[in-house]
Amino acid sequence: MPQPIFQVEHLSLAYPGTRFDPAATVLSDVSLEVPRGDALSLVGPSGSGKSSLLRCLNRLVEPTAGTLRFDGRDIRSYDPRELRQRVALVMQTPVLFEGTVRDNLRVRPVDARGDFSEERLARALAEVGLEPALLDRDAATLSGGERQRVTIARALLRDPQALLLDEPTSAVDPPNVMLIVDTISRLRETRGLTIVVVTHQPELVRRLGGSLLYLVKGRAQALEVADARLQAFLTGEHPAGVARPA
Amino acid sequence: MSGPAGVVDLSIWQLALALVLVAVVIVVSIRQSLGLERDLVLGSVRTIVQLYLVGLILAAVFAAARWYWVLLILVVMTGVATQAAVSRLKKPLPGGHRIAAIALTVSTAATLAYVIGVVVQVRPWYEPQYIIPIAGMILGNSMTSAALAGDRLQGDLRTRADEVEARLALGFSGREALQPMVRAALQAAMIPTVNGMMTVGLVQLPGMMTGQILAGSSPLVAIRYQIVVVFMLAAATGLGSLLFVRLAADRYLTAAHQFRRYLL
Repeated sequence: MPQPIFQVEHLSLAYPGTRFDPAATVLSDVSLEVPRGDALSLVGPSGSGKSSLLRCLNRLVEPTAGTLRFDGRDIRSYDPRELRQRVALVMQTPVLFEGTVRDNLRVRPVDARGDFSEERLARALAEVGLEPALLDRDAATLSGGERQRVTIARALLRDPQALLLDEPTSAVDPPNVMLIVDTISRLRETRGLTIVVVTHQPELVRRLGGSLLYLVKGRAQALEVADARLQAFLTGEHPAGVARPA
Repeated sequence: MSGPAGVVDLSIWQLALALVLVAVVIVVSIRQSLGLERDLVLGSVRTIVQLYLVGLILAAVFAAARWYWVLLILVVMTGVATQAAVSRLKKPLPGGHRIAAIALTVSTAATLAYVIGVVVQVRPWYEPQYIIPIAGMILGNSMTSAALAGDRLQGDLRTRADEVEARLALGFSGREALQPMVRAALQAAMIPTVNGMMTVGLVQLPGMMTGQILAGSSPLVAIRYQIVVVFMLAAATGLGSLLFVRLAADRYLTAAHQFRRYLL
């Protein structure tokens, strides 16, 4: 069996108490594996630690305990900036900076590698179903769905090996949800991207396939292959007593 | 009554007459139900007591003219300014006292050393008549600008937290990710000073110049000092807010370029 791209073992996350706030436990002893090119959907009630778990994968958040390996190496052995180019994150609320779509696609640290030529930008837009003419548009004038697709294109321009998506459809109006779902599931097929997604959108889970991790109060309740049991999630029943993950 | 340099010396009775001015405000407060009477009375008492105490201490320090007394006064002033700067932040900043103390000490010491040692060339450097009022002005301005900058930084980090995270996720370093908010905070802190430079002397005479003229100095001498003071305060404001914001911004970052959002 090929090496998984993400290996998470006994991950726990607690925010330290400060003089002003009490300590809070966010994740407790979560373990999971994501095979290269596979997909993992993180589901569960809000406040269950899904977004924090996602942010541990590109080290935006530092776990309190446990180990995380990306591509066979402990993620702490990577320069975090390098890691985040390889493990790109798309956030729930798309963040676009002042300027045109082109400016936004080109936003990067001075020493960042990668091809940011006009053709490459146009290709990235095409991958998310947007016209190259959009490059000259003021980013502030885009619709919610367009904004989210531009942030996905921006992530793709880093040539990531994995894409993390935090509720990518929740800030998007209904007609655009399916477009985003299409875009994401197509990326998995065409680019062989590993995708980890936090979502409440059953259609996205169904289309992506892969595995499902159900989190409740920071604990993994079930990790299962996308098979009959996934249907239980999609119809709103969360089966109990499923085998713990690897 | 007149003093040695033709200055009108104020008697206790004249001071008492000045209380009529506060009484007028108290009447206004009562008639308009502002509820400020108690604070006005307390404020008046504090004004009298605090200034008399400071006057007594300064008179003693001026008479002694020892460098260590001067230094002690400067340390106490910095301590009070530190406390005031931190308490003006809307949300507590972890390590805020240390950061404010460093920012105020360094910005004040650097500006003060240049003004006293190089520009005005006071000899000896600890001549209390010069160093204490000048240090007070520098500290006061550094304090205000540091608090303004810190407050703005915290506010921006809260409202623009997603933007910070987006930059980090795109591979920016922590400092690069916070730079737009640092810049906005510095602008917010410096704009009052820069605006002040535009209208100085036109709308009102600056306090120090007013004091010098009242004390009998020629306006032409007073303006020279005032020019130095304006430039000095610009430096202190810039330096104080820069140090404070830089150090404060670092508190919200980790070595692994993570944003400690939970501190906000």
